[in-house]
Amino acid sequence: MAAADRFRRSLPLAGAALALILAVGARGNAPDRWWSPGEGRVLPASLDYANDHGVLRTLVVGGPLKTRGHPFFEPLGANGRACVTCHQPADAMSLSARTAQERWDATGGMDPLFAAIDGSNCPILPQGDKASHSLLLERGLFRIQRPWPVRTFNGQPVAPDFTIEVVRDPNGCNSAPGYGPNAGNVSVYRRVRPVANMKYLLAVGFAFDPKQGYALPLDPDDGKPQSGNLMADNRAGNLRLQMEDASSVHLEFARALTPAQIKRIQDFELSIYTAQQSSPAAGGGLDTMGATGGPAKLRDSQPGALGSIGTPVWSEFAAWDKISPEDAAKLTPQKLAFRQSVARGARVFRDKTFLITDSAGINSRMGFGNPVRNSCVFCHNMTQMGNDVAPGQVDLGTTTQPFADPWDDLPLFRITCLGQPHPHYGKVILTYDPGFALTSGKCADVGKITLQSMRGLAARAPYFSNGLARDLRGVVDYYERRYNIGYTEQEKQDLVNLMSVL
Amino acid sequence: MRTLVTLAALALPLSAQAAETGDLVRFVSCPVYRDADSGKKSGCWLATDPGSGQRWDVSQSPYKPNWDFAVLVEGRVSAASADPCGAPVLEPVRTSILPDPCTRHMLPAEGYKGRKFVLPPRNIQPLSVARDTPPGPYAERVFTTYFEFDRDFLVYQYDDYIIDKAVTWVRAAKPKKLVVTGFAATEPETVSGQMLAERPEVARERAESIALTLRRLLPELPVETKWELAAKPTDDPDADTIPGQSQRRAEIRAIF
Repeated sequence: MAAADRFRRSLPLAGAALALILAVGARGNAPDRWWSPGEGRVLPASLDYANDHGVLRTLVVGGPLKTRGHPFFEPLGANGRACVTCHQPADAMSLSARTAQERWDATGGMDPLFAAIDGSNCPILPQGDKASHSLLLERGLFRIQRPWPVRTFNGQPVAPDFTIEVVRDPNGCNSAPGYGPNAGNVSVYRRVRPVANMKYLLAVGFAFDPKQGYALPLDPDDGKPQSGNLMADNRAGNLRLQMEDASSVHLEFARALTPAQIKRIQDFELSIYTAQQSSPAAGGGLDTMGATGGPAKLRDSQPGALGSIGTPVWSEFAAWDKISPEDAAKLTPQKLAFRQSVARGARVFRDKTFLITDSAGINSRMGFGNPVRNSCVFCHNMTQMGNDVAPGQVDLGTTTQPFADPWDDLPLFRITCLGQPHPHYGKVILTYDPGFALTSGKCADVGKITLQSMRGLAARAPYFSNGLARDLRGVVDYYERRYNIGYTEQEKQDLVNLMSVL
Repeated sequence: MRTLVTLAALALPLSAQAAETGDLVRFVSCPVYRDADSGKKSGCWLATDPGSGQRWDVSQSPYKPNWDFAVLVEGRVSAASADPCGAPVLEPVRTSILPDPCTRHMLPAEGYKGRKFVLPPRNIQPLSVARDTPPGPYAERVFTTYFEFDRDFLVYQYDDYIIDKAVTWVRAAKPKKLVVTGFAATEPETVSGQMLAERPEVARERAESIALTLRRLLPELPVETKWELAAKPTDDPDADTIPGQSQRRAEIRAIF
């Protein structure tokens, strides 16, 4: 569908706007929950939005920010989207499937969010049909079209050491004319990664990428080592490359961003911090009774610290292990128990070890061995954020058989390694998303997805790159199934409670 | 049964029966994981020498086994206690993953505790920690990195440590260029009845792998590559007295 048609369809929306107000009212939140491109609101220095687990707070350093004319908030391209369309403050600068559903209900599918280019399962499908947007509406997935053969980060061509064939293509974007490996591209479906807390995602702790066996690649703009933690497949090594990729694809911006636009977007992205701020289950603020949850701590801390040799990961909630009798008396038994559960969850996260098996990026090619005993913080090791200090490309099996769920609404690819077989899957691999291999060109990287930031989780379900976990319990259940951890029911709930306050 | 065990013992090579502290042991076998649990990275790796029947604790290798594949074990008999994992210890030791498939085997802890993880001595500091400037005078010098059998992959908490030292020295010494020479142990040797030889190509792969890393760490400095086959053992201390390890190397030579 032409972009102009979409705009015409978007205009007569008075009824839809009323429906939107009713929809957000039903969630009990402020009516300004959705930030539309170009609406010109002022982004406050501190902005709170409710979610199912409490309140998420977003801080803007140097705020408030006038968004009128700001390239992050203005519709730059043909489809009417802005960066903010998919990076909503209420959703921890990501986009939840629930918000997508609300936008569909509010606009009858006319919002630029549902642009054919990637907000539908495939542009060849009838765009007015809700079913054509099922992956976005049900699992928060956008179509990501990667070049084939592979181009590495910074755009250099790579000769892949594997072939790719389409086994199943339920949406047409890997086999219709102009689509698929035979047409020079591969379409996969992924969640939006949060644009917040960026100093942590850009932080470089050490000079090496131990998973790839080299020193870190250098940023083409400033010559400094790149963190490798921005994109699910590490296809963009710095914010400029990421925003150029996003503006040309997701916004269908035909021109190049100007240096001034790039600087304004980058400055904004480096100024925004988000995290859960309060929890009714905890009886109030996550920065009370000795805890230091919330985004202010993120804003004020140094990024890139390895928890194992410094401040332990999620020690923000350690004080809740020993709440004084005086403080305890101020809480109901349920709220006291919740806080204690969060503190236990942090310890389970750090200390409950299990056998990690067959996960490339952990069990190969690094020398940790297969299997290796460790805990969640083996990979989620950065203090305050829980992402990987090293570039975080790891295969948890979330996109690749036999571990991934058998979803028939996703394309399925057959990867055949031309050289050495994959160390855990063998020569032939079935995957919904080859992940980092679509950037590195290496068969050994099939299925690797960059670790997610763990802040603001409560605001942005579903989880994992392909939305396989509908809620926080789903995350725990996946790990339990994948690694046969043996969590007790109490430990599972403790982990859910921990993640709900991050 | 007892007779069979005795006969089997008599069939063992003398050297195996008389292994003494410091002796070099080299064999190929399928690794066994013992699920000892003293916290993170505490599990045990065991491997049995098919020639002697002796099971060894090979857990201290900087690159550990994959239970799906055979390993080339190279190590020296240690006087350390067999208590952690239930087998006498090889240390220093190397366990190179070979392409030959193995059936997975895991033993329960059976009361063995493994080893509580401690950082290995070769570990690098974060970039935020300033490095001491190495004292001069500076002259041509060689730093040597080491690899798993037939691989060019930079070994975590081994090669990165050596390269970090090299780069710190190079930044102070300011040589004109670096020449990286990759070596491969291409001369065939029979180990546990298998003929082992590294691919000739791995010499070049090692040189280019290390050169890429150096170009990223020292972008202003020219880095050239060379490679040599039929590598001979050296007595470089960072090879930890294991001849096979010393053959699988890449040398970084600073030229003034």
